[in-house]
Amino acid sequence: MFKSSRPKANLPTSHLTLIDILKVSVSGLRTRKLRSALSALGITIGIAAVVGVLGLSASGNADLIRELDSLGTNLLTVEAGQGFRTEEATLPDGAAGMVLRITPVYEVSTVTRISGQVFRNDLIQDGKTKGITIFASDLNLLRSQRGSMKSGEFLNSMNSAYPVVVLGSVAAERLGIKNVADLKLLWIGEEWFSIVGIMNPLPLAADLDRAAIIGYGAAQEYFGHDGEVDTIYVRAYPEYVEDVRSVMAATVNPENPEEVQVSRASDVLEARAVANSTFTNLFMGLGAVALLVGGIGIANVMVIAVIERRGEIGLRRAIGATKFHIGIQFITESLILACIGGIMGIIVGMIVTTIYANTQGWYIVIPQSAIYIGIGSSILIGSVAGFYPAMRAANMSPTEALRSS
Amino acid sequence: MNEPADQNIPAVELIDVSKTYEGTPPVKALSNISMSVSKGELIGIIGASGSGKSTLLHVIGTLTRPTGGSVFINGVETSGLTDQELSGIRSRYVGFIFQDFFLLPGFTAQENVENGLLYTNFPAADRNERAREILDRVGLSHRVNHLPNEMSGGEQQRVAVARALVHKPAFVLADEPTGNLDSKNTEGVLDLLIGLNSDGTTVILITHDQDVAEKCSRRVSFKDGKIDDSLSG
Ligand SMILES: Nc1ncnc2c1ncn2[C@@H]1O[C@H](COP(=O)(O)OP(=O)(O)OP(=O)(O)O)[C@@H](O)[C@H]1O
Ligand SMILES: [Mg+2]
Repeated sequence: MFKSSRPKANLPTSHLTLIDILKVSVSGLRTRKLRSALSALGITIGIAAVVGVLGLSASGNADLIRELDSLGTNLLTVEAGQGFRTEEATLPDGAAGMVLRITPVYEVSTVTRISGQVFRNDLIQDGKTKGITIFASDLNLLRSQRGSMKSGEFLNSMNSAYPVVVLGSVAAERLGIKNVADLKLLWIGEEWFSIVGIMNPLPLAADLDRAAIIGYGAAQEYFGHDGEVDTIYVRAYPEYVEDVRSVMAATVNPENPEEVQVSRASDVLEARAVANSTFTNLFMGLGAVALLVGGIGIANVMVIAVIERRGEIGLRRAIGATKFHIGIQFITESLILACIGGIMGIIVGMIVTTIYANTQGWYIVIPQSAIYIGIGSSILIGSVAGFYPAMRAANMSPTEALRSS
Repeated sequence: MNEPADQNIPAVELIDVSKTYEGTPPVKALSNISMSVSKGELIGIIGASGSGKSTLLHVIGTLTRPTGGSVFINGVETSGLTDQELSGIRSRYVGFIFQDFFLLPGFTAQENVENGLLYTNFPAADRNERAREILDRVGLSHRVNHLPNEMSGGEQQRVAVARALVHKPAFVLADEPTGNLDSKNTEGVLDLLIGLNSDGTTVILITHDQDVAEKCSRRVSFKDGKIDDSLSG
């Protein structure tokens, strides 16, 4: 009972428990299922894009790292660069032997470009070489590249002095050869060469994918090659790769070290991972736009809800709701919408990642940060989108809201 | 010990209350109203459309603040109170009934009645039972799980009455509660309100219906935002 002299502190107060806030908000959405679902859809698309992009780039990079692991990051490529002298630079005789004497080096392999052309037959020589280069190689090449054969075998000590050829993956494709059984002979230079093998791609030496590779013996016999070398592939113990690299030029060519170019083949693959992340940023931007549109959709639905539910707002005020209780109800509805949309988006993003990674044969990696970003941005969008409608609902005059329709 | 004194304090007292709605031109819905409602009264408010009856009820129920004068609810001057405090008064002491029922669609009869306890600190676990009790009292125990659009106008209004009573308010403010009902349902709802009043609840009832007004212990007639003494009493 009231008492006239009672201090204000003894007046009754309105309450609304957290559970009741949730119940009230859920029931508000329950009565408008379709519209709620549609407005949550925008958020689903945006979050799915963000999670999918993060998942795919993480899966793709994981795959790249795996590839790097299997190829090794300890391969150095030593080439004759353009020096100060005008004549074309080559590596000095015996360079490969010098390199092998560097202590942490455990494997060396050499190749040399041979000038000549490759054709399927000796009749139609229309000048189109299909961009295939001839290389002479030693027998170590496949092992030093950690390469593998798609078909047939690599050169060996029995056949490398004879007219036999091994094709790089791209060269074989351009010649229309899938299998060593498809075509027996190729017209190379002025001689028929038997095809003995086709290699799988060599990611650390993409030049060789476009190559027709013959042995040094055959190069000498049919092209008059004098045994000089222009590229050396060097495997060193991983922890000493940089040390080896720093002494390489002086070891190979003590007189003109500036004519020697040394590169680490795996750097190219690592650069690809960085390029991937550029794409990631682009798609993240698109995801953010989708989220913005989704947030506007939710704000729109909430503004309409506030107008349509004037009667409910007036009634709640009449049964004791404070402005804050009305505001929190609408903010919570908006948050629930955004979070349902966000959770659906995370699920869709994970499914997309899984399916795509499977088709690519990648390991599936969904970074935790993608899930945190998904949930965090849903909460942010829900509260921002719900803020203005909630303020309008809270400040609505109850007498106007309760006017007879 | 303070009980006898409490009984003498009016349930509602208006002193020189005015209410002007902003706008062009501004509408003076209430001008300098002074009136007092004792505990346990059944007051009928009558008057032409637009004379300010609903505005008066909203001012008494603390849904809107007057632009002038003082409103005392059980002796407490309300002009200095915050939104929270006014909401607290409504949640505990006031029961509103409207011509348009204002039941929430999608909520069953029982849930609508439970809503009357939502903003009080009545224990959530007991709301269910209390709502059933009150629905039983208004003769709707067979309709507890029905939605508003599955009930007749008379039944809907009885649900609304149950919602207004569920928290045992000190007074009930009814704005043309029978305006949308036929004579049979009007009778039913009026009997409920009269029964409630005889149990001690103060009732303030707006009506256009002369027969309804006759049943009130006192009538206050409004005309152009003022009390028309010639028709009151
Ligand atoms: N929010 C508002 N803004 C402006 N004018 C208003 C507002 N609410 C009511 N009015 C005006 O105030 C006057 C009194 O309105 P009120 O609703 O109190 O009348 P009433 O006696 O309840 O009428 P009725 O019998 O038709 O319900 C009317 O002229 C009405 O148009
Ligand atoms: Mg009215």
